[in-house]
Amino acid sequence: MIPTHWFLILSAILFTIGVVGVLTRKNGITIFMSIELMVNAVNLTFLAYARQMHDLHGLMFVFFIMAIAAAEAAVGLAIFISLYHHRDTIDVDEANLMHW
Amino acid sequence: MVEFAIFFLFAAIAVIFALVVVLHRNPVVGALSLVASFFALAVMYVLLDAPFLAALQVIVYAGAIMVLFLFVIMLLNLQHVAEPNTRPIQQFLGYTGAAAFGIGLIYFILKYAVFTALPEGPFIADARAIGFRMFEAYIFPFEMVSILLLAAIVGALTLSGRAVGHRASVGTELDKAPGAEAR
Repeated sequence: MIPTHWFLILSAILFTIGVVGVLTRKNGITIFMSIELMVNAVNLTFLAYARQMHDLHGLMFVFFIMAIAAAEAAVGLAIFISLYHHRDTIDVDEANLMHW
Repeated sequence: MVEFAIFFLFAAIAVIFALVVVLHRNPVVGALSLVASFFALAVMYVLLDAPFLAALQVIVYAGAIMVLFLFVIMLLNLQHVAEPNTRPIQQFLGYTGAAAFGIGLIYFILKYAVFTALPEGPFIADARAIGFRMFEAYIFPFEMVSILLLAAIVGALTLSGRAVGHRASVGTELDKAPGAEAR
């Protein structure tokens, strides 16, 4: 059996790559894909702990996170389509409508 | 031993394609690399004795959500969008901050999260066990998720529809169209 902390380290690496994407990119769609990457890293942690603790609750959490990620993707992409209609770009630097 | 080889192979695939997502300029390449990374993560779920969630990962994430991303990229024609290299200081701070965060995370995992052996007995996490758990203990969150998905559909339709003024002009064009007099 593969030790649990190896999965945790893989999850930490993937989460860090997602953080880099969110902090350094300006393309809205790429930022959104980095968020999906971070969500998947968290899912991997949940499953690793579920196997370590012999507990099905972690799996239920992953199931609900997947459903919520689907809802989030639909609404977020709709926001970017709306932004593109108004500004002709999805560069997040241009989205300053609520900037004081 | 085969298990370890599979783990390292697919862990490398997941990390490399995740890096392509973050570093590549073309969002289409990024979306397809993310699909590959999700497939590698599904293999990780199988190694963690959760085959049902591995199937869900392939169907829901790689199948549905990423196709939605690709449709939006195609719809907005974003393949050739250049990213101007403004704000270099913030970008540098982003890279260093994320690197410090990652190093700290791995340090603390190695320091504190080293487990003893796994508990005895098989870990049953197939569709049957998950279904029993879902419709007994988790029936209320399950119904809440269905309402959330309905709200997401309504929100997505509202947000992605054209602006009200534009819709009015489309309506007048329809009225002027040939055949409108016949009605």
